[in-house]
Amino acid sequence: MLNKVYFYATCLGTAAMQEMVLNAIKLLRKEGVEVIFKKNQTCCGQPSFNSGYFNESKEVALYNTRLFEKDYPIIVPSGSCAGMMSHDYIELFKEDKRLDEIKHFSSKVIELSQYLDQVLNVNYEDKGEPIKVTWHSNCHALRVQKSITSSKNLIKRLKNVELIELEYEQECCGFGGTFSVKEPEISNAMARAKVNDIQNTGAKYIISGDGGCLLNIKGTMSRMGLDIKGFHLYDFLLKRLEGAKL
Amino acid sequence: MSAEHKLPHEVAVHENLSNEQMRTNLTTAMHILQKNRLKVIDDRFEDWQGLRARARQAKNNALMSLDERLLEFEKNATKNGMHVHWASSDTDACEIIYQIMMEKKANKILKGKSMASEEIGLNHYLEKKGLKAVESDLGELVLQLDEDTPVHIVVPAIHRNRYQIGQTFKDKLGASLESEPEKLNAIAREHLRNQFEDLKIGLSGVNFAMSEQGAIWLIENEGNGRMCTTASDIHIALCGIEKVMQSFEDAATMVHLLTPSATGQFIPTYNNIITGPRKNGDLDGPREVHIVLFDHNRTRMLANKNYYEALRCIRCGACMNFCPVYDKIGGHTYQTTYPGPIGEVISPNLFGIDKTGDILSFCSLCGRCSEVCPVKIPLANLIRTLRSDKAGQGEQKLLGDENMHHNKAEAFAMRNFQMAATNGGLWRFSLGNAHYFNWAVQGLKSALPVIKKWSEFKDLPSIKVDLYKEVQKLEGVSYE
Ligand code: SF4
Repeated sequence: MLNKVYFYATCLGTAAMQEMVLNAIKLLRKEGVEVIFKKNQTCCGQPSFNSGYFNESKEVALYNTRLFEKDYPIIVPSGSCAGMMSHDYIELFKEDKRLDEIKHFSSKVIELSQYLDQVLNVNYEDKGEPIKVTWHSNCHALRVQKSITSSKNLIKRLKNVELIELEYEQECCGFGGTFSVKEPEISNAMARAKVNDIQNTGAKYIISGDGGCLLNIKGTMSRMGLDIKGFHLYDFLLKRLEGAKL
Repeated sequence: MSAEHKLPHEVAVHENLSNEQMRTNLTTAMHILQKNRLKVIDDRFEDWQGLRARARQAKNNALMSLDERLLEFEKNATKNGMHVHWASSDTDACEIIYQIMMEKKANKILKGKSMASEEIGLNHYLEKKGLKAVESDLGELVLQLDEDTPVHIVVPAIHRNRYQIGQTFKDKLGASLESEPEKLNAIAREHLRNQFEDLKIGLSGVNFAMSEQGAIWLIENEGNGRMCTTASDIHIALCGIEKVMQSFEDAATMVHLLTPSATGQFIPTYNNIITGPRKNGDLDGPREVHIVLFDHNRTRMLANKNYYEALRCIRCGACMNFCPVYDKIGGHTYQTTYPGPIGEVISPNLFGIDKTGDILSFCSLCGRCSEVCPVKIPLANLIRTLRSDKAGQGEQKLLGDENMHHNKAEAFAMRNFQMAATNGGLWRFSLGNAHYFNWAVQGLKSALPVIKKWSEFKDLPSIKVDLYKEVQKLEGVSYE
């Protein structure tokens, strides 16, 4: 059976993590999945939603439901944006007459690791050197989209990768979209706490399935001059499958 | 905290974040409380989620019939010999207590721990009239001696370590300098014994009030609360109207959730169920019990289709114990009685969004508070909804809304965002040429002058490829 899916690059993927988007699509292609990339795709609407601008967010949500109109799964390489589109949209429209339209759209949304892990049940051959990595859970992926188990399952399929869990894994890294812009000093304190936790594992690689958190953590680590590398899950996976240098 | 003492938002954040000692004390304490909670839930409960659901229901039932509950409580409490007073505002509540003190010719009351008394500003009110309210809760006592305010709703002095407390006792009580918990306790005990000796009026809060029984339930750990409610001639209980529930069983459900959520204890050290004043043959207990039922904007909150949910709160503090912002900045930065996630929700409702709305930015919407709240208050959702009210998009006007200056620049930026995000061509054009954050910087810079600060703390990535061009090169991908 040939699978056909929509790919949702996310605004951060489009603006700052193009490699990740391309690698994520390649992971789907490796499994023979046919991918539709809507050139008019934009953003899921989190910046306005989380700032309380619900009217604007609704327009963005409706735009998305109409752009991704066919009944293909909508694959999102980010638990945060997936959670927004599969759960928060419903909250946003809970008293709106267009709720059914939204619900239909939301039911099609799935995070990429969930799709690879649960739907395709991929079989991965790890061609990389033995390494230790640690994992950062994005809050929205953890509590809303609930895709963390799948993300970790994918890492666990790599035979040469040892996953060391963070002691305070469930703590937010301080990104929070516009939060990091509105409260940069608090956000920085949170990011530093997260980096401490990462350092305590002794791992030299931090993997995360979310672009925002990763920018935040990597930006902080680079400012601190640490030699710990941050990877987006889908960059990391493809590199391991290709045996490329990290 | 009164408006005249309020620090500018950024100053409060910066000062508290820079207080290394406080942050270390808080982070350590919060991690211990988190672990305790998880452990007790794992070890001792079979159906924690079921209990939460039941508590939510019980409290909602009480809230949906609050008029009836309150009248029933008044009837039964009066029958039990208690005096029931009604206060609509914070000042009314203070005034009632003041009048009781006048009538009884008391110039001092001894207080058990009560956030409600903080909310109505009781100590300050009495002080202005030349009367004294003395704290008997250990944490509150330390703060009162130090002229500090609570940093947390359950463990008010958790930002202080034992060395700091030893110093306070030395400076303010003339005790010898100690740091061992036992010795500190002994100092406090001796000090408080003297206070209890000539005690005429004791004041307490109320955890739950049961309308069918006309009784109140008080929970505490130190025994001082019990002293305040039994050793005095007169006991005044200060009770927000949302604390009234229908039955003893309903209240018991809540009690089961309270201490595990708060400190990780299975049950509280002291449960005090008070059904009235001393009766013939009773060995102790006050001769008079007064219950002050106060509203202070709760009725308004109950009428709001979103925020009524926050009236379920049992003040366990779990939401703040698990909040990644709270443990960095501490409770004082919120500059209102109730800090943390629940504070963000109820402070604007109780004190006005114009006065406390600035704290709505103290949340990354990580959602951990909603996850741990024993009575399932959707805190993160409510914080987001409050932001919407603050932005002027709410349907029901919040207290203080008329004094709000809506952030025009932010609104403008959000309209721009919407315009770009609903127009694929425009979006592609701006991103195709963009450095990361370009659209945000362009769109939001007027609204968010602090955007530069982000890069003060963090390095930004640089852009390497044109995604749209590269996607089209991939085989098996249709670009449409
Ligand atoms: S909101 Fe929930 S978690 Fe927070 S204090 Fe109230 S009951 Fe506890």
